[in-house]
Amino acid sequence: MEAIASTEPEIAHAVDTAPAVTLAPAYINGSQALMRALVAEGVDTIFGYPGGAIMPVYDALYDFQDRINHILVRHEQGAGHAAQGYARVTGRAGVCLVTSGPGATNLVTAIADALIDSTPMVCIVGQVGKKLLGTDAFQEADVIGITMPITKWNYQITDANEVPDILSKAFYIAQSGRPGPVLIDITKSAQLEMLTKPFAYERCRSIVSYRPRLVPKKEQVEAAAKLINEAKRPYIFVGHGVQIAKAEGELLEFIEKTGIPVATTLLGQSTISTNHPLYVGWLGMHGNYGTNVLTDEADVIIAIGMRFDDRVTGDASKYIKQAKVVHIEIDPSEIDKIIHADAPVIGDAKEVLKALIPLVNANDHTVWRNEFRKYEAIEHEQITVPELTNNGEKIKMAEVIDMLSTKTKGEAILVTDVGQHQMMASRYYQFRRPNSLVTSGGMGTMGFALPAAFGAQVGAPDRQVVAVIGDGCFQMTLQELGTIVQNKQPVKAIILNNNFLGMVRQWQQLFHDRRYSFVELQNPDFITIARGFGMDGQTCSERDNLSDALDTMLAHDGPFLLEVIVEKEENVFPMVPAGASVSQIRLK
Amino acid sequence: MTTYTICIFTENTIGLLNRITIIFTRRRINIESLTVSETERKGVSRFTIVIQHESREDVEKLVRQIRKIVEVMAVFGYLNDEIVFNEIALYKIATPLGAKSLDVETINKQYKAWVVYWGLDYVVIEKTGNNDDIFAFFEYLKQYEILEFVRSGRVAVGKTEKGLVEYLPEAEWAYYL
Repeated sequence: MEAIASTEPEIAHAVDTAPAVTLAPAYINGSQALMRALVAEGVDTIFGYPGGAIMPVYDALYDFQDRINHILVRHEQGAGHAAQGYARVTGRAGVCLVTSGPGATNLVTAIADALIDSTPMVCIVGQVGKKLLGTDAFQEADVIGITMPITKWNYQITDANEVPDILSKAFYIAQSGRPGPVLIDITKSAQLEMLTKPFAYERCRSIVSYRPRLVPKKEQVEAAAKLINEAKRPYIFVGHGVQIAKAEGELLEFIEKTGIPVATTLLGQSTISTNHPLYVGWLGMHGNYGTNVLTDEADVIIAIGMRFDDRVTGDASKYIKQAKVVHIEIDPSEIDKIIHADAPVIGDAKEVLKALIPLVNANDHTVWRNEFRKYEAIEHEQITVPELTNNGEKIKMAEVIDMLSTKTKGEAILVTDVGQHQMMASRYYQFRRPNSLVTSGGMGTMGFALPAAFGAQVGAPDRQVVAVIGDGCFQMTLQELGTIVQNKQPVKAIILNNNFLGMVRQWQQLFHDRRYSFVELQNPDFITIARGFGMDGQTCSERDNLSDALDTMLAHDGPFLLEVIVEKEENVFPMVPAGASVSQIRLK
Repeated sequence: MTTYTICIFTENTIGLLNRITIIFTRRRINIESLTVSETERKGVSRFTIVIQHESREDVEKLVRQIRKIVEVMAVFGYLNDEIVFNEIALYKIATPLGAKSLDVETINKQYKAWVVYWGLDYVVIEKTGNNDDIFAFFEYLKQYEILEFVRSGRVAVGKTEKGLVEYLPEAEWAYYL
């Protein structure tokens, strides 16, 4: 994939020339080959956790500490999410290294999350020795079988000679086309065996049976351009694919020429600055009012790098029936999967937009664009203003995010968990830079944010990383505070604490007659916990102190946990109820 | 319900069968029959999977999901009239002393089936044909004691001029032919 090729490290094409550290250069064992393959692939960071069946690899790693920064997490799920955070901000595969059995099964949630959110990841998992396979040996789990439906590709290495080829294939598959997680299961015997030929590493460039199309077919681009040029009320949906393809610049050029309004999906956020005049908001269940309602008014929808998730479409059988659809996608299986595409264009978003720009007519669609402003005014008056200027006793989530957005000038990388705080963070953070939202979209994995924020900070050391976390989510992976402290990463974490599993409570309130079934939490003292881990923190429960508390957090040298006590029973609106059509969006 | 025959060309690797069938399981599509063999190209396997489905659209989506597997080179979905297909069946018939004697002439001429093994007091008859042929013959054989009956999955070739392997991605193929 071109986007990846451009970030390739220097050693890219070379047969590995790194000097062998402890052994004669020609003959090394599987574990050493693995290390040298990682170095040749340009891997500088690994998130991992050692254990019995991966010990030979950890032994080899001991000699590679100067070239590979291994980060010891506290739980393998943390390694997975940290690798995701790293991958999301760098565009390169996040690498995990864990042991067999429980080590591998603990990674499963993160792998599934990475698959559905198209995140490149290479998971290297130990396995019992070849002779013990299938004998119910200690810490043996059928990891290939378990991860088959949730990986883009997986493979079991049982022969040390396979290491270089399989590793290069793994990185190529994970990072090319529609990115995704790859799992390599390596038996302990293969880790220990000597290679019977000299180590040589060549980066994989193609696989006969796997050829993602990057450059689109000319006739598909022309058909799309024709629909776009004839459209009276065209509307662009931007998904995660645009940022994955690093096509933000092409997108801007395309929309500024055509004057077409742009909405994003949850994961598409931050592709375009929220103050861009053509940006109209985001789509879906808790997206904006006008962006949802006006999907039913558009005559041509141009969907770029998105997959019409049910949280975007609501009732898909009633969705955009009036519109022609141009669907720009790198994954052909997404075409017609949910919504019929009148003009599908298979290709990398960057390549497609480049091809499309010269074929589309300049336009400005002023009247159509102004319709969005009408709905914006309604939403502003009925939701945004009351949420930001309330004088209630308790702080509202919206106020925290709005203030954070102002104080960070919209320049931070925002990492969110899953639930009400996630939706509020998306609503109120004013993104100014691309690649600035890291969130678990498709899988909706609670506990994602803390380790992902850590990984994002490791991947983007020059940027301010702020995690916004719910009190429920935080307790799923809070052990990773230890990882953050040990590695001295200046992650700032904000817990929006309402003592509830807020989103579930909201649904119970709205759709289950306020029968609050197991959603109230008796929480620990989060700040004491943070201090126990050696991390500073403070609690803020008064509106008057919020600004100072945020300043303290942002100015703090090192990691910091800020707990904000927010209103207990707050709801996120607008909301398209599950299974309803987008036009049935509720403002209260 | 319409019968679809899905031909999948893949690299010959361990675990691929599982990866393919997961796609059917997840969509709750029952596999009626499945046959795997190596093709005229070395290292290329051919899966022939028969399913019944109401919606052509869903079968097309299924085909695209299968194509997405890294080791899959090409996938073709067919209706019955677009392919030549066959199955093979073996019937093990008891022939103890004093039992009704087999009418080998009818078996050969009318049913195009052949006795392929003579045991001491049984025979094994082989028949190729489609589902209906094989069951018609089964009905006929009910007058004898059927000890065992087994039939294979469908194998099929397209009615196109070219061989399907011609559609595979270009590479340095080694041929058996």
